[in-house]
Amino acid sequence: MTLLLMFVGLLALVVIDVPIAIALGIIAALAMAMTSGLETLPNVALVLFDSTTKFPLIAIPLFILAGAIMNVSGISRRLIAFASALFGFVRGGLAMVTIGASLFFAEISGSAVADVAALGSILIPAMKQKGYSTPFATAVTSSAATLAVIIPPSIPMILYAVISGSSVVELFVAGIIPGVLGGVLMMGVAYALAVRHDFPVEEVFRLRRLWMTFREAGWALLLPVIILGGIFSGWVTATEGAGLAVVAAFALGLFVYRELEWRKLRQALIDGGVQTAIVMLLVATSALLGNYLTEVQVPQRVAQGLIEFADSRLLILALLNVFFLIIGLFLHSAAAIILVVPIVMPLVHATGIDPVHFGLIVTLNLGIGQQTPPVASVLVTACSVAKADIWEVSKVNVFFVAVLAAVLLLVTYVPIVSMVLVNLFYR
Amino acid sequence: MTVPKIRNVFERFLEVLVIAIMVSLAVLVVVGVVFRKVGAALVWYDEVASILLTWVTYYGACLAALKRSHIGFPKVMQAIRRELQLPLLVVREVAVIGFFALAAWAGLRVSAILEGTYLISIPTVSKQLTQSVIPIGAVLFIIAELLSLYGVFGEPDAGTGEEGVP
Repeated sequence: MTLLLMFVGLLALVVIDVPIAIALGIIAALAMAMTSGLETLPNVALVLFDSTTKFPLIAIPLFILAGAIMNVSGISRRLIAFASALFGFVRGGLAMVTIGASLFFAEISGSAVADVAALGSILIPAMKQKGYSTPFATAVTSSAATLAVIIPPSIPMILYAVISGSSVVELFVAGIIPGVLGGVLMMGVAYALAVRHDFPVEEVFRLRRLWMTFREAGWALLLPVIILGGIFSGWVTATEGAGLAVVAAFALGLFVYRELEWRKLRQALIDGGVQTAIVMLLVATSALLGNYLTEVQVPQRVAQGLIEFADSRLLILALLNVFFLIIGLFLHSAAAIILVVPIVMPLVHATGIDPVHFGLIVTLNLGIGQQTPPVASVLVTACSVAKADIWEVSKVNVFFVAVLAAVLLLVTYVPIVSMVLVNLFYR
Repeated sequence: MTVPKIRNVFERFLEVLVIAIMVSLAVLVVVGVVFRKVGAALVWYDEVASILLTWVTYYGACLAALKRSHIGFPKVMQAIRRELQLPLLVVREVAVIGFFALAAWAGLRVSAILEGTYLISIPTVSKQLTQSVIPIGAVLFIIAELLSLYGVFGEPDAGTGEEGVP
């Protein structure tokens, strides 16, 4: 009964536009006061403080900051030029460029919203100018940006790792094959749609131009090699790798490309700080609610109930997929991970599902949620950049979301796809 | 001093605070890596970096509140009739401000309990100082929330509440 009241209360607060983070905090504080008494309320301050002092979470502001600095220092533009020389000769070349540039950008930033904001503002107007329909240009940019949460580094993966106690590095490695596969499949879909709608070829393939753009973007392309290489080899931790990403993006913008001005850097620092705070406040207040739910043994009861309902691992994976897809429709990915992962982890352990494999399943489900209204954080950002109607874009986006769903099914039922590199190098 | 001016000054103050913490955090992590690699690991590095993360969380949250960019679901409120919007907005503000008033009170209670305790890695730094972010951040959040209301009533282009990162 208390749980039902909590759910209704939470829903009511969210409906009247109380920020999700604060709604979670209010409900948790009320539940604590009602079940354990008013004298427990000072614990609110302790949990709000302690839940945000987790060292691995420091990677979040640093990767966000690296993405913001890349955005204002000419790195995005050079990555786009290189992707254009590489993929632009194919029909619908600019769509391929968008997907290719997203793949490169994702390897440094880890944030789909940063990805869509950085690349969309350049590529969507360019596609529109070349005669691509606005819904298509927006859909391809939006869905390609979601690759950022599968391809390392990934902010949702960092959150999942901290909450589930899994290895961040193993999660990052598990995302490589599904991420690249998703990118290639999206290029296939974009090509089929380009042929159907007769979208133009961007440019003739010229080795000389490829070499020139590669030289221009060479330093930027070296960034993921240094950062991910450092993390995967164990030379630095994910958090330290994020610190290196900031220094590298800063040094490139200031000394190599010389496009980083104080005004732009100041804005990048403010944006990075605000975006970090938005995610971390969710972490803090979700911890309040999580503490209460753990106290009344909700995760254990959910796990027990599901095990009694479905004893096959495949069926449980299917149920978890449906569960996370529905959650992803209504909750921001960070909120969903923080709230739901602690509840389902006992079930994951009980059924012998590898937590790293499950982490990728969760990330992919919530990546799809970024593309499906009503919440659809990445799609909304893309539509805002393109000034496009969300429903018109969604009609085209269905094809790209289908790709993400296909990768999800593959990852879920053929675990080797995500786990082969993890097993090869870390186990 | 007019409300927009107060808001501007407050925004600049929070921006300076957030920039200072973000720069300190990035520099600290990089310095920490360098020192660890040369075999002289800084013992206080993890603890101080974690505290900086908490500080950027709460002071950055105030800035996000001022811009009304915390993740929300504004579509229902936008869709309902205007005469219903005002009373619901009042309920919303009472809920948000009430939560941070509770956090401020709880933060002060904890601060009093922590008197005489210090960080493990830097015994000269009081835990009262590091945990002060909760009561101070909560009060600043309330001020930011109230100032942001000027944006809602005074300017048609108020935030959408659909920001977010991952």
